[in-house]
Amino acid sequence: MNNEFETVIGLEVHVQLKTKSKIFCACSTEFACAPNTNICPICSAYPGVLPLFNKKVLELAVRTAVVLNCSVNDRIYFERKNYFYPDLPKAYQISQYKKPLGENGWLEISSGKKIGITRAHLEEDAGKLVHKQGYSLVDLNRTGIPLLEIVSEPDISDPQEAFDYLTYLKLILQYIEVSDCDMEKGFLRCDANISTRKKGEKQLGVKVELKNMNSFRGVRDALFYEEKRQREVLSSGGKIFQETRLWDVDKSKTIVMRTKEEAHDYRYFPEPDLLDFYVHNELIDAQLEFIPELPLSARSRLLGDYGLSEKDIDVLIANKSMLRFYEDVYNKADDKRKLTNWFLGPFLEQINNLPKGFSDVTISVDNFVKIVNYFCAGKINNVAAKKVLSESLTTDKDPDEIIKEKNLLQISGTNELECVVDRVISENSAAVGEYLNGADKAMQFLIGQVMKETKGKANPQVSRALIEEKIKK
Amino acid sequence: MDICFLTACELARKIRDEKLASADIFQSFSKRVLEYDKNINSFVECYDKPIYETKAGSSELCGVPIAIKNNICIEGREINCCSNILKGHVSAYDATVIKKIKSAGLNILGTTNMDEFAFGSSTETSAYGITCNPWDITRVPGGSSGGSAAAVAARLVPFALGSDTGGSIRQPASFCGVVGFKPSYGRVSRFGLVAFGSSLDQIGTLTRDFSDCADLLNIISGPDGFDATLSDVKVPDFRQYLRKDFSGLTAGVPIEFFEEGINPQVKNAVEEAINLLKDNRVRIKPISLPHTKYSIATYYIIASSEASSNLQRFDGIRYGLRVASNNLDDIYKKTRQAGFGDEAKRRIFLGTYSLSSGYYDAYYMRALKVRRLIQEDFKNVFDDVDVIITPTSPTTAFKVGEKSDPLSMYLSDIYTISTNLAGLPAVSLPCGFDDQGLPIGMQFIGKSFHEGDIIRLGYSYQNLTEYNRKAPVLNYE
Repeated sequence: MNNEFETVIGLEVHVQLKTKSKIFCACSTEFACAPNTNICPICSAYPGVLPLFNKKVLELAVRTAVVLNCSVNDRIYFERKNYFYPDLPKAYQISQYKKPLGENGWLEISSGKKIGITRAHLEEDAGKLVHKQGYSLVDLNRTGIPLLEIVSEPDISDPQEAFDYLTYLKLILQYIEVSDCDMEKGFLRCDANISTRKKGEKQLGVKVELKNMNSFRGVRDALFYEEKRQREVLSSGGKIFQETRLWDVDKSKTIVMRTKEEAHDYRYFPEPDLLDFYVHNELIDAQLEFIPELPLSARSRLLGDYGLSEKDIDVLIANKSMLRFYEDVYNKADDKRKLTNWFLGPFLEQINNLPKGFSDVTISVDNFVKIVNYFCAGKINNVAAKKVLSESLTTDKDPDEIIKEKNLLQISGTNELECVVDRVISENSAAVGEYLNGADKAMQFLIGQVMKETKGKANPQVSRALIEEKIKK
Repeated sequence: MDICFLTACELARKIRDEKLASADIFQSFSKRVLEYDKNINSFVECYDKPIYETKAGSSELCGVPIAIKNNICIEGREINCCSNILKGHVSAYDATVIKKIKSAGLNILGTTNMDEFAFGSSTETSAYGITCNPWDITRVPGGSSGGSAAAVAARLVPFALGSDTGGSIRQPASFCGVVGFKPSYGRVSRFGLVAFGSSLDQIGTLTRDFSDCADLLNIISGPDGFDATLSDVKVPDFRQYLRKDFSGLTAGVPIEFFEEGINPQVKNAVEEAINLLKDNRVRIKPISLPHTKYSIATYYIIASSEASSNLQRFDGIRYGLRVASNNLDDIYKKTRQAGFGDEAKRRIFLGTYSLSSGYYDAYYMRALKVRRLIQEDFKNVFDDVDVIITPTSPTTAFKVGEKSDPLSMYLSDIYTISTNLAGLPAVSLPCGFDDQGLPIGMQFIGKSFHEGDIIRLGYSYQNLTEYNRKAPVLNYE
């Protein structure tokens, strides 16, 4: 890549705030309902209707602004953004323009760099168009769903950093429970602004806006493509034009959507149907209560005592409730090291096979700890422990009951194992001979036979000791 | 006794005393509309029987018929604001005022004609043809609530609802010789009123006298949980102000309203009324509202800006008229070109221009600043006076087609517009007739949420005069 240039990136993220009803009417925000079932005269803009502000939206937005270190404006008002499009039934979007809810914040990403947040403002979502052959259908279920638009400063210097910013922003929003941030469902959307300038220059280059990226990876790919394109154009003496480009994921390239000349005049003006709202300190204080330990501080805390690798920590902090669960079971477990290994190993493996991952897990801390403690104490072996976990994972069934029902108690008593071992030795004289000739692998085979005979319940250590004792006699 | 010449309160009393049945009353008015409205054209739709059942005794006015301006939504009934772009659109819900009217047991007789989307002062821009003034059918009834005012004046209905953005209740009330009341902004829910200028619109009443006015205001006022701009100031029982009592009232008379452009007969009638009040010991004080001269300019920027945005939803996509095309932009252009009349288009252009980038500061922003100055004017004088008395309009009803130039039409609202900009309550009431026998109206303006003062003054004045009792003779051949 041409090294005389540097890249400047700013991101605009739309986040769907997690409320039960829409921002200006009582319609449900439920996802994936039949088209035009979550609508009413208000959100479908029938003649004569008026908006009514859902105060829950304000709470979630203030919580977010605080976490993003924004100053929260004490007087909040809405403005109309006017444009015609079939998915926008009023032909204006109620939004905030001159005075956003939050301004001048920052977000620290995992590298330790602080990315400035220019503004965070409230607005309502538009509907959805489904294009068919020769016609289009309008679905207004999404119309009026509350959105918070979070605009970053042009502080991001490369596509990977943009990816890191998005990853961490999403994580934080999930931690403070303002949004599910599910990009596939459109709960989080991202547009990017990118410009290129010669290294050392103060003036920003001409800005290109990128749209239509459906994943964080897509954002990164589109930015990589655009970074390369801009550098090539500039290197060959060309000019970058201010325009909006769409990311075509199939062709892996950006294409021009509209130029500066085609930009809309949105004719913003204060929404006369809504009065001003005031954000009192009590409201901000109340929202502070909802802000838990944030992922980056959890990260540095876990680096200390837990003996975890950075990679493991990143796995744990990626889900706030899973992290909390880990810490709870960690504190109660007898053998902390084995607990961690078991958590990151068999447990995560089983979670990954659940349809909704950790959200499907219902096992209690106590039952989980019980299984791990039994395993550590040799009461059940590894195979049995996995079986018990698998059965209790989404049912929280008592491990004792499962062990009893399935008869999974490990056989560690020499007396109980003696006759099995005797039989295995007498039936596998060839393997015994190999072991005595120094083939350690043969011992594994013999233990395996004992496990087979006991349906997996034999204690492997006790079995090995018994076999050795008997052979060497 | 002709049923149709009784006021709403008189009818309600007869229903309560079981001297009249509400069904018979409904039929009498329905028949009278059939007989006389072909010459007046005040109704867009008049029902031949009640459209819902009412519960006896649910309010003071139970069983009395009422007419509704065709920009207020009635569930299951066509709502079109007398515009081609909405013709055939049936409302999916009841406006708050309609809910209140239904639960008070009033019977909706029909919907009334109006200027398209309430854009006008003469009811000449309706897609349903012009409404004529019952006092002289060669003249306009005023507007935009001209249908409601003409219907009440002609005794086709005891009273009606209208809407007032710059004088649309008061000016037609003045031209038709009835009482037109615009409450304070935030007193009556706008939910279900098709928006024109959202920061100015207010639903109000057209009645024959102040008793009917107070009763109807009692029914339609107050919170509903649907209009965020509704005030939480307590709604009083407006009937308590129906007493002949001028005591302690100080009225301001703004000198600016009696200077240029006022018809001398109107000026004389209002001055005579002021003298009568003075004789009855109302203190009269000359006052000045210096920024009034900017009110028309200010109003047309703000109202048109809001209207240009409010009317964007009529895009041919979901309801109303659609002119088909296989190109989206063409659907918008052709639908709106065919659906809106000239005055609507003029205001959409004006509003769109005022809000455009590069012009916003010079027009919309500046208009907001002047609006504040006009509000300040009122605030200052209301330190010294309780009510303000002005003419309602500079002239009496003008001829159909007389005002072809929009600006001269706009000027007929010069005395009413500033109260909308300030959100104040105001009423127009009859105070005389000119030499052609046309009604003259005078306006009382009250402090914000002090409707009681102007009801008391109006009620007391009507007890001294006969102007509101005279009805037009409907023998048009």
